[in-house]
Amino acid sequence: MTTIPIEYYLVLSAFMFITGVIGVLIRRNAIIVFMCIELMLNSANLSLVTFSSYMGNSIGQVFVFFVMTVAAAEAAIGLAIIIALFRNKMTLNIDEVNIMKW
Amino acid sequence: MITEFGKIFAFFTTAILFVIIVYIVSKIIRPARPTYEKLTTYECGENPQGSPWVKFNIRFYVIALIFLIFDVEVVLLLPWAMVYKEYGLLGFSIGAIFLILLGLGMAYEWRKGDLEWARPKPVPPVLKKTNLTKIELLPVEENVTP
Amino acid sequence: MENLKTLVDSLYLLKPEIAISCVLVLVIIMDLIMDKNKTFLPYVALTGFIITAFLVVEQYFFKTSITQNLQKLLVIDAVGAFFKLIVILASCLIVYFSLISKEVKEAFDRHGEYYALICGMVIGMFFMISSADLIMIYLSLELVSLSSYVLAGFTKNSLRNSEASLKYFVFGAMSSGIMLFGISIIFGLTGTTNLLAVKSVMAAGGNSLTFLFASILIFAGIGYKISAAPFHFWTPDVYEGAPITITAYLSIASKAAGFALLIRFITLGYVQQIDASGAWQLVAGSIDWKKFFTVISILTMTLGNFAALWQDNIKRMLAYSSIAHAGYLLLGVVVLTNQGLSAVILYFIVYAIMNLGAFLVVMLIANKIGSEEIDDYKGLGYATPFLGVCMAIFLISLTGLPPTAGFIGKLYLFTALIEAKMIPLAVIAIINSVVSLYYYIRVLKHMFLTRPQNEDLVINTSFAEYVIVLVLAVPVILFGIYFTPIVNLAKNSVALFLQ
Repeated sequence: MTTIPIEYYLVLSAFMFITGVIGVLIRRNAIIVFMCIELMLNSANLSLVTFSSYMGNSIGQVFVFFVMTVAAAEAAIGLAIIIALFRNKMTLNIDEVNIMKW
Repeated sequence: MITEFGKIFAFFTTAILFVIIVYIVSKIIRPARPTYEKLTTYECGENPQGSPWVKFNIRFYVIALIFLIFDVEVVLLLPWAMVYKEYGLLGFSIGAIFLILLGLGMAYEWRKGDLEWARPKPVPPVLKKTNLTKIELLPVEENVTP
Repeated sequence: MENLKTLVDSLYLLKPEIAISCVLVLVIIMDLIMDKNKTFLPYVALTGFIITAFLVVEQYFFKTSITQNLQKLLVIDAVGAFFKLIVILASCLIVYFSLISKEVKEAFDRHGEYYALICGMVIGMFFMISSADLIMIYLSLELVSLSSYVLAGFTKNSLRNSEASLKYFVFGAMSSGIMLFGISIIFGLTGTTNLLAVKSVMAAGGNSLTFLFASILIFAGIGYKISAAPFHFWTPDVYEGAPITITAYLSIASKAAGFALLIRFITLGYVQQIDASGAWQLVAGSIDWKKFFTVISILTMTLGNFAALWQDNIKRMLAYSSIAHAGYLLLGVVVLTNQGLSAVILYFIVYAIMNLGAFLVVMLIANKIGSEEIDDYKGLGYATPFLGVCMAIFLISLTGLPPTAGFIGKLYLFTALIEAKMIPLAVIAIINSVVSLYYYIRVLKHMFLTRPQNEDLVINTSFAEYVIVLVLAVPVILFGIYFTPIVNLAKNSVALFLQ
């Protein structure tokens, strides 16, 4: 019985993070952009939990609890902003949100 | 000699390749003559009304949003619930303050009417006096062939 | 058990934060009870802020130079107290601005949220200013950000508002995600999130390229708050789109908190010791913050100033000017000395006054003419000489010309640079100031050198407005001539800092 090496987790976490960043940069649907942001936060969570478990140190896991709640609050506010925008503009496409120059 | 994982890998590869090959072969040899009728959602029976991509009512989002907030707070309550007995009254009051603040948030939402499920006002059916003897036929669309 | 006891015993260090939390709860409860009558809500918030300001002043005189408590999550010291004071005074003024702002008045039914969210921002900024732990940094940064996302889109029926809010959210969430990833790497390398512990691990030779990378990722989060150059994209749009009171608030308070956090991050995490001449010795082999900040500040200044040249909307122009000012402020951090720090503090006093003043005049004009385009300012100087002259004072001070406080601020920044033998950087900064003269003067040209388009441009300032404009305009001139008190304040704050 061998344990899974720490590198696997870290590579997965880095991969998730990069996916999230690229998603934020190239996707145009606001909801998908939010999902990509969540992906970024969760990749950091994954690496925190990994380090925490490999070092036998609970700080990382405590941090993950906080990050989870913050992520939920962030998602809620993001959704609320989207609803407000949608009521005004009837679109979710970020490219069409361009009264002011980007 | 291949390992156990290798065998499973070979199995998966074969399965995936088989599906892909079958798809490609059938694509090549089958006849393809699409007509309008064949391309409609239900080939026989009902005519579809409107697009299936309807927008959900925005109230669902509001409810989801409120749920999201209160749901995740449990993450913070759980560690507290595990240990608060060891810390006596002080430990309890710390959690209680948190819960009171959450309750305040809930009360705020309630008071502001975000928990109301604003129903559309029911419109009672109105009977119209029409000449029943005359049956109006809806204009029938002619079969359109693309 | 013992841990919890010490934690509760050190709660007295958090008096301002606790006070402001009580204000928040009070505002929400009041809003709930008195559903219809909301006129007194701002006064509740204002009273709370003033009480908090006194508690902060009390904190300023704590003689202990560095008090680490609450499980080493926070640092309470004079520099922190100074930045808290800036934040809380700006909050008081913003509440006052909100009372006279037409834009905010129109969204009357949501005033409860408005003041509660400002309180939320203040709590977040207080914790941001005194945080000494990466968890605390992340949480406080998020608290500030989340509140300000909502505030930026406060008058949500205007499209410009919700657009600003969305852009702010996307950029903010992304940079905080990047910062979080950096924090997770640092945690993995050192096994702790406390900045002092991180420093000791690093000094013991745990330094590497990964560490450098993680530090830069964390800087992304902080740089976004102070709108430093590669992370500034949100600034113009959000400043233009948000309600003007919130724009002013973001440009002062949020930036002050961001700079305090940056200074804290550097001094706690990377500075090994402060030598007799006041220079900060970095931990051996750590990231070369000096070069890094030099590049960032040159980029920020130049970009801000040159982009401001082409703006037609005055809020957008002030947004770019605030980016440029972030660049000037970074100059004080570049030198990594105590002199630099005191120059930053001095500049912040001046910057807060003059920037708030400029936004105030813009708001008063927008209340009347309903426009923020520079072209619509034609002849305003003639029609309402009082506002015109005050605007001139604020803009000249923002440029940094002699009889005003802005000059003193810049003078001390450049002196700190020259003392640290960074003459080329000082020259670049001075050239930037000259460039900035053009776009500030352009507003004045429109106000004074063109004839008014129509005659009914007279803006009647009420007594309350008159007083507040004077309260901001007089110090700008006064500190420009008699600047000893603020210089002493800045030096004292630094003297109490990290000994």
